[in-house]
Amino acid sequence: MTEHTERTAQPAPGDLREAGGPARGARRPAPAAPPAPAAPQQAPAHPEEGLLDLVDQAVVVCDADGVVLRTNAPAGRLFPRLRVGEVLGAPAAGPLAAAAGDGSDAFDADFLGRRLSGRRTAWDGRTVWLVRDDSAVREREDALLAERSRSAFLAQAGKQLGASLHHGRTVRTLVRTAVPVLADSAVVVLPLRGNRTTWHRFGPHTPEPVAGRIAAAVLEGVPRVADALSGLEPEPTACPWQELEDLGVVPQQLGEGGEALVIPLPGNGVPAGALVLARGPDREGFTAVDTELVRQFASRAGIALAASAFYTQQSHTASVLQSGLEPAALPAADGVRLGAAYRPAREALRIGGDFYQVDPRPGGGLDFFFGDVCGKGVEAAVLTGRVRQSLRTLALVEIRPVRVLHLLNQALLDAGEARFTTLVTGSARSAADGGLDVVLAGGGHLPPLVLRDDGRVEPVQIGGTLVGALPDPIFDQAEIHLAPGELVLLYSDGVTEARGGPAGYEMYGERRLVRDLGTCRGMPAGAVAQRVELLATEWLGGRPHDDIAVLVLQAPARTD
Amino acid sequence: MTTATRPALDPDVRSAYDAHLARADEDAAAALVLGLLDAGWAPERILLDLVAPAQVAVGERWASAEWSVAQEHAATHVSEQTVAALAAATRRPAEEGAGSIVVACVDGEWHALPARILAEVLRLRGFRVTFLGAHVPAPHLVSYLHQHGPDLAALSCMLPVRLPRAHRMVEAARLAGVPVLAGGPGFGPDGSWAAALGADLYASDAAGAADLLQRAWPPPFDGAVSLPHLADEEYAQLVRRRPELLRHLVDTLHERFPAMRDYSDHQHEATLEDLGHLLDFLTAGVFVDDPRVLTGFLDFSAHILASRRVPPAGLHLAVDALTGPLHDFPRTLAHLTAGKEGLEEAGHAHSR
Repeated sequence: MTEHTERTAQPAPGDLREAGGPARGARRPAPAAPPAPAAPQQAPAHPEEGLLDLVDQAVVVCDADGVVLRTNAPAGRLFPRLRVGEVLGAPAAGPLAAAAGDGSDAFDADFLGRRLSGRRTAWDGRTVWLVRDDSAVREREDALLAERSRSAFLAQAGKQLGASLHHGRTVRTLVRTAVPVLADSAVVVLPLRGNRTTWHRFGPHTPEPVAGRIAAAVLEGVPRVADALSGLEPEPTACPWQELEDLGVVPQQLGEGGEALVIPLPGNGVPAGALVLARGPDREGFTAVDTELVRQFASRAGIALAASAFYTQQSHTASVLQSGLEPAALPAADGVRLGAAYRPAREALRIGGDFYQVDPRPGGGLDFFFGDVCGKGVEAAVLTGRVRQSLRTLALVEIRPVRVLHLLNQALLDAGEARFTTLVTGSARSAADGGLDVVLAGGGHLPPLVLRDDGRVEPVQIGGTLVGALPDPIFDQAEIHLAPGELVLLYSDGVTEARGGPAGYEMYGERRLVRDLGTCRGMPAGAVAQRVELLATEWLGGRPHDDIAVLVLQAPARTD
Repeated sequence: MTTATRPALDPDVRSAYDAHLARADEDAAAALVLGLLDAGWAPERILLDLVAPAQVAVGERWASAEWSVAQEHAATHVSEQTVAALAAATRRPAEEGAGSIVVACVDGEWHALPARILAEVLRLRGFRVTFLGAHVPAPHLVSYLHQHGPDLAALSCMLPVRLPRAHRMVEAARLAGVPVLAGGPGFGPDGSWAAALGADLYASDAAGAADLLQRAWPPPFDGAVSLPHLADEEYAQLVRRRPELLRHLVDTLHERFPAMRDYSDHQHEATLEDLGHLLDFLTAGVFVDDPRVLTGFLDFSAHILASRRVPPAGLHLAVDALTGPLHDFPRTLAHLTAGKEGLEEAGHAHSR
């Protein structure tokens, strides 16, 4: 019986060790083993005296004045200084005395390292206190809370680490998240690139992460970190942090002493970095529980870091390729005003199947082309790159626009290209009246629109077949004259086929475009291009669309 | 506060600049501004005391029907070119460790100039700035954030009708771990809608934003979305029922003003567009649960109509017509009532 009581009243040492942890901070000392109870002096022996000892709670019987009449064995353990015949007092009875004093019927408090909960009952005109030792329950609650706070920390860290795909941001988030829960200071050393690498550190007492560089030679001088980085040492290893001093990354503010833990951040085959956690001398070293938590954190952090490194590399490749396919900025050209707008269908991509280019001619004037490859997205953009390159090369050997179109047609067919393109190529040069003479040659493209000085809008019929579709194509050309202030607008079908409007399903259409272009009289080329793009996009009202491209060539207005 | 310490702008400079805008003469406008720069004017002052107020005046000229939409558009284009010329003349590389900011107009927002000016002012104050332009789709912003990892996303919104889309942008940026500065009158008279959408910081204009960021850098990341009223589904219903409500409005107006049946296609389209705006502002107001979105729109529209000699009573009729099909939407009804009362107080009620 006594055995049983012992177990309930006092948890096994193992239980206690699991408790505490990050949430609670300092751990409560285990209750000191009570001194062998000097048997309290009992009232005159009663035949059934021993019965009370069978109760697994402490029983304290008092009279109306609070004088202790009787106690049992558990009471002797919980209140070792309590004596029969004495009045309940704070030193001997703690919370029990307090509760009795202020007339409470129950209490729940710490006393001599235990958690006690008691309640008052009455029996035969006397006060009987039943007191239970809840220490074990509390320890279990603490352990649960600690476990919960560890899970919450890992969940929160996972969320923060997963937010960005940017490598720099991810590594800064990583060191920031590790402090203060895991350590006073956290450092990430990234894998070597060439003969140097970078580190990022947060804490102690820094508002922002700081970063610096390490030469490969220095890193090699600290094998613990070098091994974690190379994957040689897959396990967390602890050491005094002075051992890492040569790296020059451990903060001076930590003071003398303290412990460091070095952990590889598992990545795609090779570690994505090495994490160094440092605790100051005032903080307890890394326990087994801590190390397990760090291990779990490192696995989440490693995945996030490796993913962001991968994304950064891929997006760099994509953006380099992309920048070669985006329309080049318009050049400054004497005697011609230019304007353009470009809005690809897949807007996160910034490239599409529409393309244009304007090149000034050495002797004055300029050459241009404008087209629309069938399809959209990357596949279409790749062909626009090829068409643009071919046109540039052809310009070196052939200046007659219709001839250029025939050559390009042949080149696309010979390359076995399954896609084709619409195209308007042409040139513009200043005319004697201050206006512009424009030659336009085309294959399969929508008729360019001329805005006259009086607000009239005239389509320019060029005709011609698609480029790269037929072995015997027909191409033609048209010549127009623009008086000062007049302009010609080239646009892709993404403008006129924009579906939306107030009703939600109508096409913007050429009729509306002609009408709206008529209101652009007196506007500079750039503003006209922007306005056409705006009208089409507003018509869309956020609905998906095809690539939209606009190019405007304008004769400069007379300045009076 | 900053304006008080600056010497007043020479009115001749301003009127010369206004004249260039009126003639859409981008070369002359750029030459004037670069001349001021040579004369020792601080570039920030040129942006905030000349370009910005001149652009406000452009908007007012359109509102008062002095200028056509095309003229307003041409002048705005000239202002943009002017800022670009000024930026090119004052550009220098940011210092190592400078904070990095991406500036973008929210999806659907075409008024790029205020955001462009903000970008240049921040650059002049030493930040590393990228300007993504007008009408930035959320996927474009997100891919920029992941590729370049800026410290802050500054989102500009000039009209509250874009608030639902602005919310998606704020959310997308914050999910990518980037704090958001919301700016512009679209976020409410006091920026209160910016906070509700989860933005971490708010400033009403470029100077305010630059001052705020210099004080509060690194930017906090503690915004929280607070749109509990969306639980009543009234917003979602308004979005879903938009085509039906629009038809109802047109039918009501046709019944009341039979002359409208003889409108040309273009006039008919313009009417549909105006009524669509009314529905969209109502919907945005219900989204942030603030009737001021609708009352502000009605105020402004009445002013626009009056300056075009159109009696604004049609607005009152339209607002009234919505109370029928929306009778079981208590929150929306409150907005409509506030809108009607505002119009009545201003003397724009239609006679029954």
